[in-house]
Parts: sequence; structure tokens; C-alpha cells
Amino acid sequence: MSANRWLATGNYYSSYKEEQRIFSTHSDRLIFTLFLLSLFIWPLFLDLSSKYMLVIDNILVAIIAVLGLNLLTGFAGLISIGHAAFVGVGAYTVASFSTVIGDNHVFLTHWWPLVILIAGLVGAVFGAFVGLPSFRLRHLYLLMATLSFQIIFQWAINFSSFFNQGQTIFVPRVYWLTGKVMRKEHYLFWYYVILVVIVLFGFGIRNLLRTRHGRCLVAVRDNDRAADAMGMHPGLTKVYAFALSGFLAGVAGALHAYLYRGVGFESFTLHHSIVYLAMAIVGGMGTLNGSFWGPAAIQILELQVENLAEKAGHLFPSNMNLATALRPLTFGLVIVLFLMFEPRGIANWWRIVRSYVKLWPFRY
Amino acid sequence: MSYFFQLVISGIVVGSIYALSALGFVLIYKSSRVLNIAHGQIIASGCFITYALTVWAGIPIYISFLASMVITFFLAMSVERIFLRRLIGEPIISVIMVTIGLMSIIDGFIYLTPFGSENFSFPQFFPTEPIQFGDVSISWTQLVGVIITFVLIAAFSWFFKKSTVGISMRAVSDDQFASMSIGVSVPKVFGLAWATAGLTAAASGGIIGNITGLNFDVLHSFGITVFPVVILGGLDSILGAVVAGIIMGLIQQFASGYLDGNWGLYGTAEILPYIILLVILLFKPHGLFGTHEIERV
Repeated sequence: MSANRWLATGNYYSSYKEEQRIFSTHSDRLIFTLFLLSLFIWPLFLDLSSKYMLVIDNILVAIIAVLGLNLLTGFAGLISIGHAAFVGVGAYTVASFSTVIGDNHVFLTHWWPLVILIAGLVGAVFGAFVGLPSFRLRHLYLLMATLSFQIIFQWAINFSSFFNQGQTIFVPRVYWLTGKVMRKEHYLFWYYVILVVIVLFGFGIRNLLRTRHGRCLVAVRDNDRAADAMGMHPGLTKVYAFALSGFLAGVAGALHAYLYRGVGFESFTLHHSIVYLAMAIVGGMGTLNGSFWGPAAIQILELQVENLAEKAGHLFPSNMNLATALRPLTFGLVIVLFLMFEPRGIANWWRIVRSYVKLWPFRY
Repeated sequence: MSYFFQLVISGIVVGSIYALSALGFVLIYKSSRVLNIAHGQIIASGCFITYALTVWAGIPIYISFLASMVITFFLAMSVERIFLRRLIGEPIISVIMVTIGLMSIIDGFIYLTPFGSENFSFPQFFPTEPIQFGDVSISWTQLVGVIITFVLIAAFSWFFKKSTVGISMRAVSDDQFASMSIGVSVPKVFGLAWATAGLTAAASGGIIGNITGLNFDVLHSFGITVFPVVILGGLDSILGAVVAGIIMGLIQQFASGYLDGNWGLYGTAEILPYIILLVILLFKPHGLFGTHEIERV
């Protein structure tokens, strides 16, 4: 036990329990609390237009999805190129409620937290199903299972009239304590909702990773035979990683559906799966704060690409959509360059900056 | 009954092209244990290079077919040299993610060319009159495509079984350290595997382009169908790739011939391979001819 829990100058851990603390000093805890508080109160002082609010909401939804993907790919070591399909499962759960019981039913407008939870559970079921082959397989074949799930999902949406052949299905506005959430406050309202969900999931996952079940994932990733020998069940652990990641993706999908007030097929294609993967890689695989950096970085990059495509569009023949060409190009390049030169992602830069600031004015 | 035989014929045609496409995938997996997600894109670019050489540059088809094979040979080799060589020794998971990135990059490049937004089709090189066997017919393009495919597959099987380079590739796939110790250059073998994979990709791309026309979406979905084929055949077996390719082609043709339009089903040919893929992964993960990885703990 260090004498001073406010300003520790090094590690003074004397038990494993201390080492597993989320915040090593009280100052860390204080700074983090202030940061969270500022996230909640900044909209009171700053009135952003809905265009920018939508960008922020998008980043937050992507953060939830990438938390799931990072759990799967970063911590459990299973690549998924079907993550957008899992997100789509969540969104289409909401959409099928909307088609079955009508898009102004009380269940959808008043009981939306329950709907979001159900969407998450449906995502978890689908995730577990796709993960089932892991009882018999070593890691990398599962990539194929996720790919085929992505393709089957796209087909099921595109060819069934229940899902409106992939055309937009409307999702109603929701009610809150103060009444119906109107157009003006729509994005702000969902900003708060998604933020609360992220805080819950963030702490949930951070705590999960300290427990037996979370460390099981990492153990199976690092060496599944050794994990087996130590009494874990690698297959079961992988299925459970898939289910967990499917749950987070499902919640993200439901939030996406409510945020856009509609579900369309074009947000859940293979391209989006690759974008999610790019987010996880850029943020930093196997780090929790990487799941926050990656989506922010990639969404901002995407905006820049769109701007560039708009500006440079007239230089190219009119029948060509420059944005469709530049998007895969940049995301592919970002994936490859990060994997080649900074495999630990932005989270690593964050770590370097943090330790620099912490020790300032001294050097490591 | 003639409808059935017609479906069998076109299934074999499509299936043999699948086999040739899957061959390149298997080559890379066999030597370096990398699942090359970008293989479909390499096939598509091979197809477009053949078209550009034939129609835009006006080179005779048989020369441009070979030329595009040579071009993709060096293209794939340089891809391996630039992106994958420095990742040797890294965990295989990041190498596979690099190929996912590559898939995206090649997609982007193709969208930058006219092929991304427009459809083209090769001029007819062979008589347009199909060959008739009773009620069953096969076009000259298809027949020549199948013949070229089988010749190439036979050549590659020979190459793997008998030639020194092929044997060293098999040695590397078996045990990298052992083959290094007897003087096989492992990086060179990896490069060569990618290069030959590119070569077969260009060949299959050229044949597909002649049979189906050049639509990037079609080629894209064709490229992805390679994955069910290789999983069915077993990831590291050339024979498996051939057999599974033909099985997959037959299944697709029967599905689109008998299922589509009945019972409200559409597009079954596109989806059945992936359902089969999931089932195979569940029950027979090593495919029909793949080697079972024996684990000793």
C-alpha cells in the first residue's frame, strides 16, 4: 500500500488485488470523473448544429460496436469480417418489431430501453450461433464463418419481403419523461442515451476483463492448449466471446435504428464490416481505450474523404463516384499501414503521451 | 431430362473456373498458412488487365491472356514483397488482416478505373454457334475455357509433384525451419507462391470475363465464392479445390435451375455456398480432402 494514494511516483503494489485496480491513484479517478462529467454537461454550453451532433452520435454508436469487435478480435483473437451483419441483426430486430406491431406501438415508443436490450440479446444468439464451429476449429477458420454470416445476412435482407427488400423500414420517435422527443432535441437526446450506454458497457467490460471470465478470453487467445490444460474450455470461451460481441453489436444496431429513425440495408454491408475492423485496428487491438480512439479517428477520416471527393469530383468523369473509390482505398490503406507500422494503434500513442505527462518534467 | 444435362454442363463449366480460382488461394495457404482474403480482387484485376490489353491495346487474345498472367505474376509478387514480407514472424492474425486491407485497397483502385462503374464485354473470339449434343449445348467460349482450366490445373499439379520449386514449396508448407535448414529460401518461396497464385488468378479472371462479361459486382461475388469452395475441398488440397469447385458449380446451377422462383425463393445460387460453408465448418471442418491437423498436447 503506498502511503499517498493521490500522488504515487511509482508502483507500490503489494497484492494482486491492488494491481488489478482500475484507477491506480485517486488523482486518476478524479480526472476521469471530471472528464465524464464534462462529457455530460458540454451540450449545455455549446449548441452544435444537428449535422455535427449526428457525427458525434455516429461515433458513439460505432464505439459500442467496436467495443464488441475489440472484445472478439483484440481480446479473444478471433477475426470477424461480419461485424456489420451483427449490428444489422440488432437494427433489424427493431425493424421487425416495427413491421409486426406497427411503427407507433407503445412497446417501441415507450419501452425502447427494453427493445434495445432485446436487440442485444438477439445479436448475442446470432453471435453464439456463428461461433458454434469454434468447438471443433482452431481460430482462423472462424473468419470464414463470419464472412458467410455477412453474406447470408445480406441475402436474407435483400430477398425477403418481410424486411422490405432492404428498403428503409421506419422506426418511431420515442417518448421520455417529458413527453415525445421532438426533431429539435432528437440528436441531443440520443447523445445522452448512447453516452450512458457506453459508460455502462465501458465499465462493464473493464470489470469483466479483471475477472476470471475476461482473462479466460485472453488466455485462450494467447495459447488455447495451455488454457485447456488450466481447466478452461477453449471452445466454450470462444462461443461466449462471439455471443458477447454479438450482444454489443446488437445494442449498437438498435441504437443506430432509433437514431436514424429507420433501418436500411445499405448500412450493414461487407464494406461496413471492414470499416469496423479498421476502427478496431487503428484504435489498438486488445486495448479498451483503443475502442474509443478508433471510431473517432475513422469517422473523422471518412468526413475528410467525403469532403475531398466533393472537391475533386469535377476532375474525374461524371459517371464515376469518387467517394465510392476513395473510401475503400483509404480504409484499406489505413488498415495496412497501421498493421505494418503501428500494430498497437492509437492507444499506444495515448500510452506514450500519458506516461510523458505523468513523469514530466522528468524523462523515462 | 435435357434440362438436367444442360444444368450439369453449365455446372461443370462454372465449377472448373471455381477450381482454377481456388487453386491460387490454396497455393498461398499451402505455403504460408495465410488466408488470402484479397484473392477475389486479384482475380477481378486479372480479368480487367486481360480486357484492357485485348480491346484497348488491340493485342490478340491469346497473347494478352498470357501477358496478363505475366503481369499479375509480378503484381502479386510485389504485393507480397511490399506488404507481407515485413510481416513474416508476426502473428498470423495480423497478416490475414493485412489481406483484408489489401482487398479494400484493390477495390478502391478498381473503382478508380472505368471498370468500377461500367460494364464491358469481350468481343466474340470463337464461333457464336454453340456445339449441340442432342438437346444439350455448350458454347465455344465455355468449352475453350474449360479446356484451358483443366490444362492449367494439370500443369500445376505436375509442377507441385515433380518440379524442384514445387517440392520446395511443399517442404516450406510442411515445416519452415526444416526446409530452411536444408537450404530452401522461405521468403522466396512465399513470394513465388503469391506470384503463381496471381498467375492462376489472371487465368481464371480472363476466362470468367469471356464467359460472363466484365461486371465488377459479378466478379466480386465470384471472388468471394472461392472461400466456400476452398473450405469444402479442404484448405490445403489442390485435388480438393478441383472437386469442390465442380461440386459447388453443380450445386449453384441446380439451385438456380430448380429452386429459384419456386416457393418464393430467389438468389439461392448466391447463398447456398455460404450455407454449405457454415455446415461444413460445423461438421467437417477440414473439408473433403484437407489434412487433419493432429494436435498433441
